[in-house]
Parts: sequence; C-alpha cells; structure tokens
Amino acid sequence: MNDANPSAAGAARQEKVVVERTYRAAIEELWELWTTKAGFESWWGPEGFRVEVHAMEARAGGALEYDMIADAPDAIAAMERMGQPLSHPTHGHFSEFRPFERLVLVHAIDFIDGIEPYESIIEVDFHALGDQSRMLVTLHPHRDPHWTRMAAEGFGSQITKLDRRFGRAA
Amino acid sequence: MHQDLFETLADPTRRRIIEALRGGERQVNDIVRDAGIHQSGVSRHLRILNEAGFVSVRPDGQRRLYALRPEPFRELDSWLADYRRMWEARLDRFGAALEKNRRDRGATQKERRK
Repeated sequence: MNDANPSAAGAARQEKVVVERTYRAAIEELWELWTTKAGFESWWGPEGFRVEVHAMEARAGGALEYDMIADAPDAIAAMERMGQPLSHPTHGHFSEFRPFERLVLVHAIDFIDGIEPYESIIEVDFHALGDQSRMLVTLHPHRDPHWTRMAAEGFGSQITKLDRRFGRAA
Repeated sequence: MHQDLFETLADPTRRRIIEALRGGERQVNDIVRDAGIHQSGVSRHLRILNEAGFVSVRPDGQRRLYALRPEPFRELDSWLADYRRMWEARLDRFGAALEKNRRDRGATQKERRK
C-alpha cells in the first residue's frame, strides 16, 4: 500500500472546509453578528485586523462593503513586510439570505497582484439545539499566495488563541 | 510554494485518476477502466499530474506504471490545517462577541430595573 492514500482521498475530494461551533445563545444573536454593521465589525477579520463596514444590505443580493484595516502592531508590521497597504477595501454580497437559517456570503477577491480575480464563497447554516445554537461554516479555500503568506505570517495562530484563552481565564 | 496544486486537482478527470490510483500502482489501461475516462485524454492528464508531483511513473518492460506520491498531499494537508486554524480563531472571536453582547444586554437590563 502507498502511504499517500489516506491523504489522497481527502485531497482529491477536498473542495471545502467545514468549521462547526455550538454557542450558548439564540440563533437571532448569531444572525445579528453576520448581518448588522455593529455585529459584523465586532468579530470579522483575521487576528490583528478590524473592519469598518460601509454598506450592509441585509437581504438576498444585498451588498456588504467594508475596509479591512491592520490594527495590532504585529499585523501592521506584517503587512508592511509584505509590501501591502494597511487598509483593503473589500467587496462582497449575500447570494443567499434566509433569516435564522442560512446565508451565503460571496467576496470578490480582486486586490491581489498577479492573481486572476476570483470569488470566495462562505456558506453559513444555523440550527437550534435547545437553548444553544449550532453554526456550520462551509469554506471553499482558494490557495493563492496571498492566503498562503497570511497563514505563514501566523494570523490567528493557535498560539494567539491559547494566549487569549489563558488571558480570559486569569 | 505551488499555488497550482489546487488547480491541478480542480479537474474532475484528474480527481478520478487519483481515485483510481489509490489502490496502488496502475498501468494506463487499468486507469482508463477504473476511472471511467476516455483513452484519448488520459496521457495528457497523467503528464500534468506527473509535472505537478502528484504521480510518479516508472517503466516495467513495455508498460509504464503510475503511482501516487505523498508529498503534494502532505503539503495540501498542512496548508488546509493552517487555513482551518485561522477560521477556528475567527469563530473564537465570534463566540467572544456573542458573550460580550449578552453581558452588555444583561447590564442594560439591570440598569433599567434600578
């Protein structure tokens, strides 16, 4: 047998990544974080970045436009190292919008030098589980050099996450 | 880094060829049969898979035997693991934002009760 096999199965089928969480909150509260300006700004963006929403049209076909801004010193330093501006205007829209059930957020990735523009699709499904809510985020990763470098720079790394967790517990 | 690893796998015929090779080394005729694809395109796809490092080829008398190589799959796995971690961290922040909203709302309600 060939030791490539288990991975080969995954990679050959790999077109999406599913991340799943269950939160102790009502679906309406989760929905608000995706579909209101204040909600979206409160969490979106990689570690070390914040967003400033200019348009949030909460309906099917509605626009979502925002600036993604490097905020933390290490994010600013990393963007400078990569020769990137500190703020990116970002354009998206909701291609599906079924309140408290499902939304699909499409981003136009058209700001990366040397890469043909493409669409990044994020599907989000919500399910009530008693007094908790389950959220499934389905991603269609596009392995362009931009995201590879972002990953290499360690945004949202496990270590940051652990620091934060211990920080919170203390 | 090879940004074209995903592009190589984006083609459904090439994914079928990879599936057909999961059982081990195969010659072209077996790949054509197992993958249910037409003979005419298979050499081109095998060449692309070979150039991208997914597939190795060795001669065996008159035949050429094709097999999967683990390296690109490992690279994809590790890239995907990083990508997933980035999203796990994002959903941690999502959870923290939910908690904060709850606390803020709780505080407002207490204020009102006073």
